[in-house]
Amino acid sequence: MKNKKTNDLGLSAILGNASDEDSNDKNYVVQSSTFKLIFSFINLYALILMALFFMVKGNLVEGINNNFLETGFSSVLNARAILLLLLLIFLNISAYFNYGFKYVCLILLAYMINSAIDNAVLFSGFLHLTDRPYLSAFNVTRPLFVIALFWVMIIHKDKDKSD
Amino acid sequence: MFEVSQLSKFFWFTMSISYAFCFSALYTYSTIPEYTLELNNTAQINITMKLATVRLIIVATALFAYPIFLFRFFKYAKYFTVALTAWAVAIYIDDIFVLSEIIKYPESGLISSIQSFRPILIASLLWMSIELIFRPLTVD
Repeated sequence: MKNKKTNDLGLSAILGNASDEDSNDKNYVVQSSTFKLIFSFINLYALILMALFFMVKGNLVEGINNNFLETGFSSVLNARAILLLLLLIFLNISAYFNYGFKYVCLILLAYMINSAIDNAVLFSGFLHLTDRPYLSAFNVTRPLFVIALFWVMIIHKDKDKSD
Repeated sequence: MFEVSQLSKFFWFTMSISYAFCFSALYTYSTIPEYTLELNNTAQINITMKLATVRLIIVATALFAYPIFLFRFFKYAKYFTVALTAWAVAIYIDDIFVLSEIIKYPESGLISSIQSFRPILIASLLWMSIELIFRPLTVD
């Protein structure tokens, strides 16, 4: 009887001390504050980037090179912005349901690196930093976005520990 | 190694198709006759060949790295396969919908046949990803 009482006390102590670190045992997973912070940064960065894409497309951002939009870059920006929006929606849905987040992150990562390579190869000839300073700022800081995506993928806690 | 032996025959078949496609692409783009490029020496073709060279370097690296991931780091092989599939789909969508007005491949029978077989590569990679993600492994 005494042993049972001790065991109950021990169990309740263990369960009481179970914090976020052991949250995989529950039906839901509590992500760390670092994850939330980086995830917010990714969303904010992507949304500002898309807004800027559409502003450049609409010629609302001041620049020096007036022939900038006549080089086919406009249609590329348009398609890229739409694809990025779709992938961002999928990323948020997978984060909300906590299912396949790492895979969606990988897909977004592959897409962002591919678009960076394409831009560097195809448009490096006439896309100077001074053409569109705001857009260039985002192109230059793209590695930051890629690093954030990679980081968020690593620190994400899945329901299934085997993932 | 134990995990690799549990993969289905269809996985190895799709992997063979992917490797055959990638080696064919490497062979085709590295043996384009000079006169084909000189005859159609437009800016579009030059820029396309520049882009194709960068992509082929990535493909060659992936061909070399994939067996290492599969046999040595099986746990991470599924992530590597998903990343490669995502990249293959991304460049296909890019070429068809995004860069269709900007890039132009040289007129060659081999290149056009390689381009038309790209959906088969994507389907093979998709199967490999699905099998690596969802196939239950019985050996611990």
